[in-house]
Amino acid sequence: MTLNFLIAPDFSPERFAGWHMLNTALQKRSGIQLHLLTPTSAAEQAAFLAEGKADIVYANPFDAADMVRALGYLPFARPVNRSDEMVIACAAASPVQKVEDLKSGCRIAVTDNKDIKLIGQRLLEPADIGPADIQWVIVDSYQAAARMAIKRDVDAAFFLADSFASLSRMTRSQIRPLVESAIHDISHVVLAHPHSAQHLPALGAALLALHGDEFGQSVLDALGMADGFEPLSQEDAEFMIDLMDTLLD
Amino acid sequence: MGLPDMISPSPQARPARLTYTDGTARTVFCTAVEMPFPEGSLIVSRTDLQGVITHANQAFVEMSGYEREALIGAPQHILRHPDMPKAAFKDLWDTVSQGKKWHGYVKNLRKDGSYYWVYASVVPNVRGGVITGYTSVRRKPSRTRVAEAAALYEKCILQEAAPS
Repeated sequence: MTLNFLIAPDFSPERFAGWHMLNTALQKRSGIQLHLLTPTSAAEQAAFLAEGKADIVYANPFDAADMVRALGYLPFARPVNRSDEMVIACAAASPVQKVEDLKSGCRIAVTDNKDIKLIGQRLLEPADIGPADIQWVIVDSYQAAARMAIKRDVDAAFFLADSFASLSRMTRSQIRPLVESAIHDISHVVLAHPHSAQHLPALGAALLALHGDEFGQSVLDALGMADGFEPLSQEDAEFMIDLMDTLLD
Repeated sequence: MGLPDMISPSPQARPARLTYTDGTARTVFCTAVEMPFPEGSLIVSRTDLQGVITHANQAFVEMSGYEREALIGAPQHILRHPDMPKAAFKDLWDTVSQGKKWHGYVKNLRKDGSYYWVYASVVPNVRGGVITGYTSVRRKPSRTRVAEAAALYEKCILQEAAPS
């Protein structure tokens, strides 16, 4: 039997090889056949979920909330020291110096990552700006968001913090962070569909053991998760979901 | 046993006697010093059903001014500022005990008598259909909304102090 291992579509492109390395390593170490699914958009991921094709999922936190509470997915691991943070940035030459300088009607570039958009909206609240006060400019990548900010086609752009950090030095020299989230308690998580529950002990052991040897470490480094994975209990996941619930409104 | 009285941080600090819903009381001291909300952070805590703190993140600890050891096991009202009307907290508890989410602007008291404003959200922790505790998350508030809340709370406190 082969299990589908779905990776949320918000990972950085340079990590693509790392996910394939992880898939291969987990297969060898657990003895379970895994087929990697790498949807390129939230819509494609939703289609996989709707078709019941996602057995093991590396899920972003907001999708995880629905998957755990509505679909009964079982949380079992999360990356260590890899919380999901975001950055709001503007052109280096912009007169905007802080979030409170942004005004109603401002233009903001966003990707289709709804987690980043939601957290960003919360960080804009001190400026008295609600979602309806913003002219959203949807872009297909963080690089595109950065280009729009640099050209001042938008007043600011939302970035996944990891993606912001991985922008080229040239690009980063032309944009300036206004605020970076420091939430710490929200991260991607690894979930299993209830019908895959019997495979969790082997998969969990293989995933957690990666941090313990040279080859496993090379896989983790390729993923940008040098500290490896740690167990995630049902209550840990529920706590994170409760926390995210407070951010919805 | 209730919380001990605060020690006056300065001769200019304003004293107030607070009586809490659990029947305990203490004297607190307030200064006019406002601590800025940490940029980008969320202040997170969890309590049990009685409002006793069971978890506090680092931002909560730093903003409160207390040591973590003093916070865990303490009642949530350790942060109660005398400028907050009782009605606000009654509304909070009435709402969350029904399993609903509560939002509101809150002025919190630090250990040293200074204060900080937050936009607070409290959600019940529902496990197996039963409320087992509460998670509170505070975000940086809009100053416009804080000014509105401060004016409203001032009126509420005057009403609460008026003879019925």
